[in-house]
Amino acid sequence: MSDRDNAVEKTEPAVGDGEGKYVYCIVRNDRSREFGEIGIGGGARVYTVNHNDLAAVVSDTPIVIYDPTRENVLAHEFVNETVMREFTLIPMSFGTVFRSENDVLALLKSTYQAFTDVLDKMRDKIEFGLKILWDRDKVVAAIERENDEIRRLKEEITRNAASSTYFARMQLGRLVEAAMEEASNRYVTDIHEQLKDVSVASRSNKVIGDRMILNAAFLVDRNTEKPFDEKVKEISRQYEDLLTFKYSGPWPPYNFVTIKLKLEKAT
Amino acid sequence: MGLLTNILLAPFLGPVWGTRWTLEKVDRVVREELTDDTPIKEDLMALQLQLEMGEIDDAEYVRSEAEIMQRFREVREWREKFGMSTSGGPVRVAEGDGTE
Repeated sequence: MSDRDNAVEKTEPAVGDGEGKYVYCIVRNDRSREFGEIGIGGGARVYTVNHNDLAAVVSDTPIVIYDPTRENVLAHEFVNETVMREFTLIPMSFGTVFRSENDVLALLKSTYQAFTDVLDKMRDKIEFGLKILWDRDKVVAAIERENDEIRRLKEEITRNAASSTYFARMQLGRLVEAAMEEASNRYVTDIHEQLKDVSVASRSNKVIGDRMILNAAFLVDRNTEKPFDEKVKEISRQYEDLLTFKYSGPWPPYNFVTIKLKLEKAT
Repeated sequence: MGLLTNILLAPFLGPVWGTRWTLEKVDRVVREELTDDTPIKEDLMALQLQLEMGEIDDAEYVRSEAEIMQRFREVREWREKFGMSTSGGPVRVAEGDGTE
């Protein structure tokens, strides 16, 4: 990836120069734009390839496969964040490289209608990520406080430590497990419910690791960004003894745009 | 990897894999295992979370990331060998209207 460096000196418009184009996103703009030297692979110049009122935000790249390392993903992300300050955008998947500007133009032409429809739908929409983790011990303690049956059973087992049966312990374990699952569902439902009025849509992704109970993305209108933000903070205060909130964004609407591009390997 | 070793060495281990059915089934399982990058993506996300939560430091992150990238590359190679689609690398619009 070090052959990236020699692309910096390039200032002339890169047309048919044999180099590839890394595509970050699609926006609506009918003139060419520069976004600075912030591209993937060590600060490549980021600019647009235009077709009518659509523009692909690209940078020059050697024909390589980009590993999804933190460095590369952050570079991809940073370009989209920069573009997002001014435009509604359709993010491309990480690592999408076209062989030439003409191939990028072919994408814009052939997918013109779908891009246009999605850009209309996503106009002024942004995404926020919300991951919620729980502290198992604290949740168990809360359950023991609230649940009489569990509390009594536990006291009984502690009192008669020697004589308490294997089955009593088993039963306690099962009750706690069930109560935890119930609690997790209750928290998640409540949080979704509270955020419903300040978001346009939400999507739950698979949780990561065993402490996470929610891994969701929320689509939010720019106009309600502030109320959404305040609501998340309010909820995290409500649950601060039990749950850890990891709140991120604004992001491009990664989780709410799925245009399946019919792309093939360019050889 | 144990399963793979058995497959690769199978002819030398004698008639363990008796039937065609078993071979095909094992072959399919191995193929799926070798060409599925979902668990790698999950590991990468878990690693990122660990860093965010302060459970690991930057050096550990970088070390684990390098291992995960290696696994990504291996899956990509196997997918290429089996003639499956791979992410990354140059693409162009396929014939048709560009969307599925």
